[in-house]
This record gives sequence, structure tokens and C-alpha cells, in this order.
Amino acid sequence: MIYKTIGKKIQKAREEAGLSQEEMASRLGYTQAALSNYELGKRRLYLANIEQIARELNKPLSYFLVDSPLRGKEEQKEPPDEITSEIINLLSELPTEEKKNILEYIKWRRDRLP
Amino acid sequence: MIGFDLTEEQLNYQKMARIFAEKEMKPYADELDKRQGTGFDWRIVRRFARANLLGVSVPKAYGGMGVDHLTASIITEELGAACLGISHPAGGTWLATTCLTLVGNEDQKKRFLPLVCGEKAMLAGLAITEPEAGSDMAGIKTLAVRKGERYILNGTKSFISNAGLGGFYIVFATTDPQKRQVGLNAFIVDGDSPGLTLGRVEDMMGMRAGQVGELIFNNVEVPLENQLGAENTGFLIAMQTLDMSRPCMGAGAIGAARAAFETALIFARERKQYGRPIIENQAISIMLADMATEIDAARLLTWRACWLIDQEMDSTLASSISKVFTTEMAERVCSRAIQILGGQGYTRRWPVEKYYRDVRACQIYEGTNQIQRMIISSML
Repeated sequence: MIYKTIGKKIQKAREEAGLSQEEMASRLGYTQAALSNYELGKRRLYLANIEQIARELNKPLSYFLVDSPLRGKEEQKEPPDEITSEIINLLSELPTEEKKNILEYIKWRRDRLP
Repeated sequence: MIGFDLTEEQLNYQKMARIFAEKEMKPYADELDKRQGTGFDWRIVRRFARANLLGVSVPKAYGGMGVDHLTASIITEELGAACLGISHPAGGTWLATTCLTLVGNEDQKKRFLPLVCGEKAMLAGLAITEPEAGSDMAGIKTLAVRKGERYILNGTKSFISNAGLGGFYIVFATTDPQKRQVGLNAFIVDGDSPGLTLGRVEDMMGMRAGQVGELIFNNVEVPLENQLGAENTGFLIAMQTLDMSRPCMGAGAIGAARAAFETALIFARERKQYGRPIIENQAISIMLADMATEIDAARLLTWRACWLIDQEMDSTLASSISKVFTTEMAERVCSRAIQILGGQGYTRRWPVEKYYRDVRACQIYEGTNQIQRMIISSML
């Protein structure tokens, strides 16, 4: 699960940088298949791999790690700033229509606070 | 792609481990299990060191055996069949070296991995659990405060395998408890560090040849160069290490289950009631059939998880599945072995009650089976 989440972030960061899998793989010295497996979370990502990818894509290491290793209910125990940052991260993956629904839901919840 | 034949090399390791288990473990298993108190028998370490069995997972370049995970699980099964308790100091050491091999830099590997290899090898340990942070690892309170070129560690680790025995420990501490898993860091801590002391040693139900206890950190200084991986990557380091060590740990439980099964099989063939061996009763023979079936299934699950690790693939799901099935299978098999032996099985004249007590621990350590089920369900 950790690898799948990190893999998705790698894919997102790669696409934002405007790189194809082939281009990125050759920069890193991986085969395209290996990079594809990393992005799909099928292949074990060593810390060294993540560091290399972070350098190549000009992102801090925390971009890939910070909210990825969440398991089970631990999410709910996050301090507020972590939750907020996660909500923002997840929101960015949703289409506008979904964002509107969530906004409405948040307002609904807020209005019912004691 | 699918083949279940072991290579000649793997068969040789299996044979070596079996001979070692017969000669250097089995003769002492009963005596070490029955000892009172908590004094550790250092002869275990010397015997393992002579066979380089503390360095099973250490790459050859640093003096270890450098075997892959599948081979390590084959070796572990043999050791577990002789005595899980005596295997335990080695298992604790492998945990630390698996972690170090996975994320250590060249300098760290050169300084620490050779310490667990060869005739003068020492033990090592991995310290994650705390009195208030068991399954919830992100709740770790042991604090690491950076002061110039050092970190200062304060806190208590509990249920640590090889506590007080290790030449070094991999210790997980937080730089900010508020950040939970994001603040976790891993450090290599010298066993002789000033301020590091052994707390309570546990008097356990099984695994009595090993030593499990508390490590207390009182202003323990750790040089910056002993920090593992990049800053705040401790959670990933711990998860990766445990994903990789779980199948091998399960292999030890398979060994103990196999030993219980073999004892029950021999007993059932020799013990006569109503004028014939009890194995001729279906009530007994079917129990033995179930035991053989489950042992085989557990072994295949373990081998698959190890194979995935050796292929550098994600083994998280397969590792958790193998851990749950294998360790619960081992309890069931040992329980049936006691049942087949009847009153005899409940006594200390036979080893099956010891196997039962030993394997019971496997459902708890390296992530309880409840946590494994959470991991499995999250990946469905």
C-alpha cells in the first residue's frame, strides 16, 4: 500500500514535469518497465530510489513520503495541519464537480457544529 | 516461471542448517527452556557465530552468508524445528541487519555489518516497541534531539529481542512526537553507549532461551553519521524492514510446527490402544492429515512472499498473508500434537507443549496478526 501511494505521487510529479515514462526512466537509468512498476506500486521502492527520483523531479523527499504511510485508523489521529494538507492533496485529484459536492458537505457539517 | 525445486545451493544450506540444528541446538533446547530466572546463555551466540549463522542476511562483501530471502527461510525452518527459543537471538540480529542492509549507507554497512559475522560475531537488535507504542508505531515517544553533530536520545523501548545483549541496536525515535509517523527516525546505537541500560527482562511463556526486555535511553549520544536514511523516513524504514522479515520469521514457526507434527506422527504409530496403533483410528489420522496439509500450505505462502522479496517486488500483501496463516497454523498444529499425545503431550516429558508455548509468540511479534489483517484488508 505504501508503494502504491508513493508510486501515484511519482507519476503525478513526473507528469507535472512534462516527462514521459521513457524520458524519466532514461534519466534515472531505469528501464521503462521498472519505472512503470514503481508507479504502479508493484516494485519495492528503496529509500535510495525515492531520493533519486525526488532529486530528478526537484521535489523534497517529504513530497513522496509525508502522507503516504498511513494505515488503518492512524489517519484520524493526525494533528490538524496534517489533515488539512492531506485534504488539499486529495482534493487536487478530484474533478470540479466533486469538489463542489465536498464543499457543500463541509458547510453542512460546519452549520451543525454545537 | 513456477518451480518448486530447490537449487543445489539451497539444498546445501538446508543440509548445513539441519546438521547445525541437530548438533548445536537440539541437545540444549530442553535444558534452556526449563531454566529458571532470566540469565542468558552466551554459548548460543558462540555456536551460531562459528557457523556464521548470525550473518545469514548480511551480504558476502561484509562477511555474511549473503543468501536470498527464500534460502534464509529454508535455513530458518530448520533452526525453528530444533528450537525457536534458541533461534531467537539470531532472529533478532537478522532483523537489525535486514534493516541496515536495506537502508544503510556504505560507511554504516562497513562499520556495523561485519560485527555480526564470523567467529567473534555479536548480536544486534531492532528497537521499535515502547510501553505506550506497540501496534501504533507512530505513537513512539523516545525523543531524539539534534545537538550539533549529535542526536541525544531519551526514552524507553520495551519487548526488545536481544535487549542488553546487542553490540548495536537500530533504534526508532521521534524528533517531534506531534508529527507522529512523519517525525520518526532510525539510528544505529552502539550497545556500549553511555546512558544506555537494560531495564526489566521478561520472564516469558515460551522462547525461554532468548532474551527480551527493556532498553532505557538516558541522554544517549548518537553521532550524526549513525542516522539511517534521510531525515524523517523512519516510518518507511520500519515498514520495509518488517515486510521483508515477516516471511522468514514465519518460516521458524513452520519448523516448530513440523517438529510437533513429526513427534505426533511417531507417537501415533507407536502408541497402542485397543490392541492397535492409535494412527489406525481415523480420528487421529485425519488430524495428522490436516497438520501435514496446513504445514505445506504455510510453506508455499512463505516461499511465495520470499520469492517476491527476492524479485525486488512489493511483498507487503504476501508477507502479511503468509505471517497470519503460518503463525496461526503453527498454533493449531502444535495444539493437535498435544491432543494426539494425550496426557503425555501435556507434560514436560515430551517437547510438544514447549513447541506450543514457543510458537504462540509468533502471532504477536513483528506486527500482531490483527495488524496484519488490517494491512491485508487495506489492500483488498
